[in-house]
Amino acid sequence: MSSVEDILAAENELTHLLGAQQAVVLSTRIRLARNLDGMPFPGWAKVPQRKEISDRCVEALDALPKFRRGHVLRMGELGDRDRAVLVERHLVSKELAAGKSGAAVISRDQTCSVMVNEEDHLRIQVVKAGWHLRGTWHIAEQLDDALGGSLKLAFSDRLGYLTACPTNVGTGLRASAMVHLPGLCLAGHMDKVSRALNQDGLAVRGWLGEGTEAAGNVFQISNQQTLGLSEETILKHLGGWIKNVVEQEWNARRKLAQEEGEKFVDRLARSLGLLRSARLLTSSEAMNMLSHLRLACDMGCLPEERRHLVDRLMIEGQPAHVQARAGQELDSDGRDRRRAAVVREALKDFPEVIPPTA
Amino acid sequence: MSQPIKCSLCEEAATVHLSQVVHSKVTKVHLCEACAQKGGATDPAVFQLADALTTASPAPTLTCPKCGFTDIDFRKRGRLGCPSCWETFGDALGGLLLKVQHEASHVGRAPAGTSPAGQLRRRLDDARREMEKAITGEDYEAAARLRDEIAGLERQLAHS
Repeated sequence: MSSVEDILAAENELTHLLGAQQAVVLSTRIRLARNLDGMPFPGWAKVPQRKEISDRCVEALDALPKFRRGHVLRMGELGDRDRAVLVERHLVSKELAAGKSGAAVISRDQTCSVMVNEEDHLRIQVVKAGWHLRGTWHIAEQLDDALGGSLKLAFSDRLGYLTACPTNVGTGLRASAMVHLPGLCLAGHMDKVSRALNQDGLAVRGWLGEGTEAAGNVFQISNQQTLGLSEETILKHLGGWIKNVVEQEWNARRKLAQEEGEKFVDRLARSLGLLRSARLLTSSEAMNMLSHLRLACDMGCLPEERRHLVDRLMIEGQPAHVQARAGQELDSDGRDRRRAAVVREALKDFPEVIPPTA
Repeated sequence: MSQPIKCSLCEEAATVHLSQVVHSKVTKVHLCEACAQKGGATDPAVFQLADALTTASPAPTLTCPKCGFTDIDFRKRGRLGCPSCWETFGDALGGLLLKVQHEASHVGRAPAGTSPAGQLRRRLDDARREMEKAITGEDYEAAARLRDEIAGLERQLAHS
């Protein structure tokens, strides 16, 4: 079994753990950009240097208790589909998957993944299901300390952690929340919220990060500034805004449910009906209707304990996942047919949608 | 026939033309499809970055002694060559850093084992900045406290 098959088969927090999922915030992510002292950045390094960087980083990571019985994946050794699966799971970036000299070291529970030879030598990432900014940060901080103990990292007293791009220098910290905002989208407030966040130094992106559209009303909100603010200040600033956005989302949902009444329930019920009987389902169609089911679980229209199943379908309904599950390459129609079958099977014993209780 | 406009970041023909108004001055950036995609031309931070890059001089004036990276390479890539490049290009990047980061120096964590003197220097920089802020904000009580801290830090540094 390849390591990527292992990752797909393993139960993890984002797709399986009942109770880890929360309304509105799907996941919390911390990313730290780090580089080895005295080595050229990956984009400027020659092939043998990139190999040396990769070997040194992978060796140091492999020795950490956090990655015991984890996965070491070298991009050059993986097929296209396996790399696409890793991107869809947010374990590696599109940029890392596109190159040959990158590697990813992933913890067994899939909460920690470190990209080697992406734009920087090391990109430490920690992801937790739900909203857990402190806990997620704490894990990243420990990993950073452990790595700093075995590798000499590029750091300057004046500029902090030195990175390839000026937009990451300083703390190298990108903290983000993946949020599900169907209420604000349906109410037409998302542009306004997005602008307010931008104006206060936060970036709003789609489901798969930079340059992607927000399928399924899912957005990623993250800090932009990394220099001149302490980690504490960055986390507090993001935390304050996420709390605010979650509140606004709940207000929008309650207002919609109240004003629309039966029409609100009807919309959610139709999505369940369609997902349960469709024979061909495109990925964006699936995402948008699964977004309604997640909303239904949050609002008490469907049992809350079904929410993790909806989250799992959002991840496993993506194109590379569908093909990996099928164990073969599929054309667009084949994928839509297969996706529809997986969704039908997963939702077959879902109860009916009832009026909101939340 | 007139020459097509070239991308500001590479030599390809530009197809994306961006204009931005900063302090009532119009700045234009021309990008090819690939660079626009890569840079995320809709991201305001990146736009500012491209803007700053295109105002750089055409001939290399700075070269990193450690990795051979030049300011022209930076103009093309928007990324530096190695950690030492930050020393070589630090001053030249000052304006750009202020544009994309709004700050010029680090506050926050340092790797385990960073020299105590380095940490003292950093705290000293922070305290000096905080004192200036306190004076501007007419918070003289805080300013006095910071002045004493600065004097203490300077003494410690002199003895380290």
